[in-house]
Amino acid sequence: MQETMFVDPQRCIGCRSCVAACRECSTHKGYSMIFVDFFDRGETTATMPTICMHCAEPTCAQVCPADAIKQNEDGIVMTALKPRCLDCRNCVNACPFGVPKYNSAMHLQMKCDMCYDRSSEGLKPMCASVCPTGALTFGKYEDVVPLRRTKPVNIHYFGNQKVETKVYLMMPTNQGDAVHVEGDTEFEEHLSQKAGEEASWLENEMGETDHTNEFRS
Amino acid sequence: MESTPAPQKLSYRNPTIIGLISSVVLTALVIIGSRNLENFDSALFGYTIASIVAFGAIAFRYAVWLQRPATRIYFKRGLQLFFNRRKFAKSAKSAATSIATNLVEQRFIFKRARQRWIMHFFIMWGCILAAAITFPLVFGWVHFTLEGDMGYRAHLFGFPLIVMNGRSLIAWITFHGLDISAVMVMIGCAIAIHRRLNDRGAIALQQFLLDFVPHLLLIAISVSGIMLTASSLWFEGYMYSFISLSHQALVIMTLFFLPFGKLFHIVQRPASVGVELYQNRSAEMEQAICPRCKAAFVGKLWMDDLKRLVDELGYDYRLKNGHTLQDYCPRCKRVMRGLAYAKAPDKAEPVFFGSRVGGPNV
Repeated sequence: MQETMFVDPQRCIGCRSCVAACRECSTHKGYSMIFVDFFDRGETTATMPTICMHCAEPTCAQVCPADAIKQNEDGIVMTALKPRCLDCRNCVNACPFGVPKYNSAMHLQMKCDMCYDRSSEGLKPMCASVCPTGALTFGKYEDVVPLRRTKPVNIHYFGNQKVETKVYLMMPTNQGDAVHVEGDTEFEEHLSQKAGEEASWLENEMGETDHTNEFRS
Repeated sequence: MESTPAPQKLSYRNPTIIGLISSVVLTALVIIGSRNLENFDSALFGYTIASIVAFGAIAFRYAVWLQRPATRIYFKRGLQLFFNRRKFAKSAKSAATSIATNLVEQRFIFKRARQRWIMHFFIMWGCILAAAITFPLVFGWVHFTLEGDMGYRAHLFGFPLIVMNGRSLIAWITFHGLDISAVMVMIGCAIAIHRRLNDRGAIALQQFLLDFVPHLLLIAISVSGIMLTASSLWFEGYMYSFISLSHQALVIMTLFFLPFGKLFHIVQRPASVGVELYQNRSAEMEQAICPRCKAAFVGKLWMDDLKRLVDELGYDYRLKNGHTLQDYCPRCKRVMRGLAYAKAPDKAEPVFFGSRVGGPNV
């Protein structure tokens, strides 16, 4: 499969079409595996769409005690094999991107598999097929990149750790070839103030109170 | 700056020894249980040898599996928590509940899908029934003797048990136990194959060797097993020895397939009892607090084990602020990455006037 995903958070308008469409994927029917997070709703309207970045050396697969997470020949890191997954949640908390979800009652981890039922047949993943702004785009590198002024980057540094991914993040800059994540302190003060407060309905619906990635069954 | 995960080193020495010891122990149990092979049915010799070899192979595979750093940590911690004297009663109760709900009732499969639960119910209980009947016979642990005109006496490890009337309902069920299990397995496998041929998600992900072969083997065993009954009951033993040999070959193939692929979950799945115990116990202990949002999201003991595991695997997620990336809850990890993205660009870049080439205000 030559196609991959290109994520451009600058284009994301937080409409959550991708979240709704993701539920239609046949490999995880009824459950959305994509995240659209507000940086801080009180401070900015900016949102961050997160799908699985499909790491070249996936940490989630390495930390799995049941050897349930496999990477296929297309470089897609698959959802945990159902007979094997023990619901240990190692993958959920080890993933540097905060992607895998789990459900305790089902004893199951699930994650974005780039809609493998569709993408393996050349169709766009559900999220890319509905995204109105192209924040989530599926296609070949040579087809997508020339159309964009943003710079495709598929290397992240989380502290000392380099993580190379199949999915590209479109950077609105020509400086640097990687994203460096170093535990940003932006909005932390605001967060601390809210820490003890009871969450509102909206915060719950927006997933802002979910700190564990458990999906509802 | 960058760090590359170290490949996992596997040693086959200890697993080989464990596998060989397991086979030797089972051989000894066969000899002892069959009273020095006195009660051993030599017609089942092929099954016995295959079972002994497969048992060693499964023990070997299990020992290799335990060498995975993640598995090893869970295995040790699970045992440590279970045998903690002060909490032993609580742990035993937790384990008993997990065995009842996860392994017997399999509520988690029901939560995944009702049809999947029905499918698995038939296959699992069919296989368990068949194994419970077959292995004691194959190992010479159970045999029957004729008493009088109609009486059948069962013997367990050479000790006589009850006598039953050969024409009674209990006798009929006992002698047709394998036929009943074969029907159960076929129903389950039919549901599974129907799903695999029709479900879009399953079609995209399945592989012939991993997902179809086990079902085909189980169906072949069941059909050939029922053909044996049909041959002896209704066709005066027509082709009996050929069917018997085919059945034996299929069973041996399946036994040798156990350590690989999908069937390995039979021996792997009980580990979920230990995992659940660990989850329950760590939920009662001190919780790890996300340094950013201050939310308690997992047990601290559990998180420390995970960080040690990630480190052992050769990853280095230490951040400049002294924390490790795994200290943060999943949501904060996503937001922090978003903030890193948002702060990366030079705001003077023309790209901020439209991200599409040839767009407005270039």
